[in-house]
Amino acid sequence: MSITSALSSALTGLSATSRQAEILSSNVANATTPGYARREVGLRAAVLAGSGQGVAITGISRDVDRQLLGERRQAEAGEGDRSVRAAFLGRVEQALGTPDSAGSLAARVASLDQSLIEAAGRPESQARLATVANNIGSLINGLASATDDTQDARMNADRQIGDQIATLNGTLAQLEKLNDSLLSFTGAGRDVSALLDERQRLVDSISAILPIREVPGNNNQTALYTTGGVTLLDGKAAVFGFAPTRLITPEMTQTSGGLSGITINGRPYDTGGPNSLILGGTLSGHFAVRDDLAVSAQGKLDAVARDLVERFSAPGLDPTLVPGAPGLFTDDGAAFLPANESGLAGRLAMNANADPAQGGALFRLRDGLGAVTSGPPGNGTLLTALQSALTAANPLSSTAFIAGSRSFAALTHDLLSDTSTLRLSAQSEQSFAAGRLTALSDIEAQNGIDTDQEMQQLLVIEKNYSANAKVIQTVSNMIDTLLRLGA
Amino acid sequence: MTRVSVGDASLTNILARQGADLRGQVQRASIEVTTGRQSDIAKALRGDVAPLLAVDASLTRLNAFKTTTADAAFQASVQQNALAGLSSLAGGITTILLTARDYPTVVQVNSVAADARARLESVIGLVNSQASGRAAFSGTATDTVPLGSADDLLTALEAAAAGSTTAGQVAAAVVNWFADPLGYGAFYQGGEPLSAAPVAPGEAADLSTTALDPAIRDTLAGFAMAALLDRGMLAGDSGERARLAQRAGQELLTTEDARIGLSARIGSVEAQIESARTRNAAEGTALGILRSDIGSVDPYEAATRLENARSQLEALYLVTARVSRLSLVDFLR
Repeated sequence: MSITSALSSALTGLSATSRQAEILSSNVANATTPGYARREVGLRAAVLAGSGQGVAITGISRDVDRQLLGERRQAEAGEGDRSVRAAFLGRVEQALGTPDSAGSLAARVASLDQSLIEAAGRPESQARLATVANNIGSLINGLASATDDTQDARMNADRQIGDQIATLNGTLAQLEKLNDSLLSFTGAGRDVSALLDERQRLVDSISAILPIREVPGNNNQTALYTTGGVTLLDGKAAVFGFAPTRLITPEMTQTSGGLSGITINGRPYDTGGPNSLILGGTLSGHFAVRDDLAVSAQGKLDAVARDLVERFSAPGLDPTLVPGAPGLFTDDGAAFLPANESGLAGRLAMNANADPAQGGALFRLRDGLGAVTSGPPGNGTLLTALQSALTAANPLSSTAFIAGSRSFAALTHDLLSDTSTLRLSAQSEQSFAAGRLTALSDIEAQNGIDTDQEMQQLLVIEKNYSANAKVIQTVSNMIDTLLRLGA
Repeated sequence: MTRVSVGDASLTNILARQGADLRGQVQRASIEVTTGRQSDIAKALRGDVAPLLAVDASLTRLNAFKTTTADAAFQASVQQNALAGLSSLAGGITTILLTARDYPTVVQVNSVAADARARLESVIGLVNSQASGRAAFSGTATDTVPLGSADDLLTALEAAAAGSTTAGQVAAAVVNWFADPLGYGAFYQGGEPLSAAPVAPGEAADLSTTALDPAIRDTLAGFAMAALLDRGMLAGDSGERARLAQRAGQELLTTEDARIGLSARIGSVEAQIESARTRNAAEGTALGILRSDIGSVDPYEAATRLENARSQLEALYLVTARVSRLSLVDFLR
C-alpha cells in the first residue's frame, strides 16, 4: 500500500530475527546446562486493519516433554530407592566377608575349628591353646565388626534422612516462592522461561528423594504430589518433620520409640509398609535400611551369635562349670538370657577365665573354665568336646533363620549365602531401575540442544536479517528517489 | 515446525556410558585372567555360596588333621621304638638268666645281675622316652616322665622283699609289688591314659598306652628281679640267687608274648594313622579340584572375554574421536 508500511514490516522482520538470534545464542550457550529446556521464538504474521503488517513475536516457548519429564522423575526415584538398598546389602556382604576373602566370618569359624582340632591333638601345647584363644577372639571381632558396620549403616541412613528432609523443606519453600514470582511475572506478560527452568531444576533436585507427580495449573503454577498421594506443594509448601538420632543401638526401632518417624505438616505418616504414601525414593530407601534391612541383617547376626553362645554353654559340656554360669562365649561377661538376643553379636566376649588378655589363663580352655589349677597337660577331652560342640548339628533356637539342625559352620554358610542372595537380587533390581532411568534420560538428552540444528537455524536467521536489511535499504532508495523529484 | 534433531548431550551420554561399561568389563576380565578367580564369586554361584564355603571349611579342617596325624604318628612311632628296645634288651639277657642254675658260680650270677641292672636302667630310659617334649608313656601327664630312677625302684622292691629268704619269696614280693596300686601304681608318675587323638573327620587314634600297661609292667618286673641280685638280695645263698636269676629269666620269657601283642596293637594304630593321612591327602586333593571347579574361572574363557572387550573398547575410542569432530561449527567458515 505504502512505502512506510513496507519499511515498518521490514523493521519487524529485523527485530524478529534479532530476537531469534538472541534466543539461539542462549540455546547454544546452555547446550550442556542441566534442566535447560530448548527455547523457540513463536512467530505469526502481524495483521493491522485486515492487511499484513510484518511479523509479530507471539512469545518464547520452552520445548519440554512433560510426559517424559514425569516418567524420568519416577525412574529417578525408583533408581534411588533401589540403589540405596543395594548399596546397603553390598556393605553387609562386605562386612561378613565374601567367600574368597581370608577374613570372612566363615573363614574365622573354619580357623577356630582347625585350631580346636590341633589343640585336641596336643593339649599340652601352649601355642596351640593360644591359637584357639586368638581364633575365638577373631570370631568375636568378626561378629562385632559386622554389628558395628550394620549399626553404622543405620546411623548413616538416619543422618541421610535428616539431610534429605532438610533439602525437601528448603526446596519446597523455594518452589512456593517461585510459584508466586511466576504468577506475577506471567500476569505482567514477561518472559518466564528462566524461572520455569529454575523450577524444573528444583523439582528435579528432589525427584530422587520422593516419587513426584507434577500437576500444572493456570498461570504457570504447579502442584506437586507424591505418587502415593501426599500433597507436597499446592499453593502452600508442605513441611516435613523428622528428628535425627545420633547413636543407634541394635535394640532401637521406630516401633519401640527410639527412632523418629516422619511427619508432614505435623501429621505422622508411615515410613514403610503398604500404607506408606512416601514409598519409592531414596527417602523410603533409607527408611527401609534403617528400620527393616539393617534390623533383619542384625537379627541374623544375633541368631548366629546366640547359637555360638548356646553351643558352648550347653550343660555337661564343661564339668567344671556350675549350672547357669557363662560358657566360653559370654554376653559381655555375663551368662546369656534368651530375652537379650537383640544386639548379642556386638556384645559377645570371651570368658575372662580363659582369656589371657582379661587376666585369665589358657589352661582353662583345656581343663575347664571353672578349673582352679592346671590339670594334667595331656588331657584333650574337653578340647575334643568343644570341637564337637562347634560341629554338632544343633536345632536353632533363634527365629531369624529357617528352623532346622545344623552345625555352626553350616549356620554361618547360611548367613553368608542369605546375604549374598539378598545383595544379588537387590543389585539386579537396581540395574533394572537404572536401565529404565538411562533409557529415559537418553530420550530426554535427545530432545536437548542440538548445536548443529542451531547453527543451521543461525544461517537462516542471518539470511533473513540481511534480506530485511536489503528491504529497508531499497525502501530508503525509493523514498530518496521520491524526494529527489521535488528538487 | 517438525524437525529431526538429536541433542548434543545424547551422544556424549551414550559414548560415556558405553565407555564406562566396557572399561568395567575389561577390568573384571583382567582381574579374572590374572587371579584365576571369579571377580564376583557370589554372582557366579547365584548367591548360594554354602557349597563353596563347606569345601573351604573341609580344606581348613584337613589342614588341622595334617598336624594332628603327624603328631600322633610321631608319638606312636616313639612308643613302638621303645617297645622294640625293650624286647631286644629282654632278648639279650633271657637265655643267660634261664641257664643261671646250670652254672651256679657266684661270679657268673654276679655278672649277669650287674648286666640285668644296667639293662633295667636302659629299660626305664626307654619307657621315659619323649616324643617332641611329650613323655610317650605318661598318659595325660605329658610333662612328667612316667618312671623314677632304677635305684628308687630297686630300693622300693628291697623294702617290699625285706625278710625274704628264698628266691620264691622274693619273686612273689616283686610280682605283688608290681601288681599293687600302692606299689608300682604309686611309683608310676604319669596320669590317666591319653584320650584318643583326632586324625581324620570323625576318627581318632588310640594312643592310650602308658607305663602301666601289663606288658611294660611285667617286663620291668623281670628285669627288676634280676637287678635285685646286684643290690645284694639273698646274699650268701648262691643257690637261691641262681634260682632267682632263673625266675627272672622265666618272667622275661613269658612277657615276650605280651610285648609282641602290645607292639602289634601300637602297630595297628600306626597303620590307622597312616591310612587316615593318605585318605586326608586324597580328600584334600579332591576338594582342591572341586574348589577350583566351583570358584575358579576358566582362563581361556576369561582371556577371550578380555580380548573381546579390549577390541570393543578400542573401536569405541575410534568412534568417539571421529564423532566428536562431526560438528557443523567446524564447517561454517
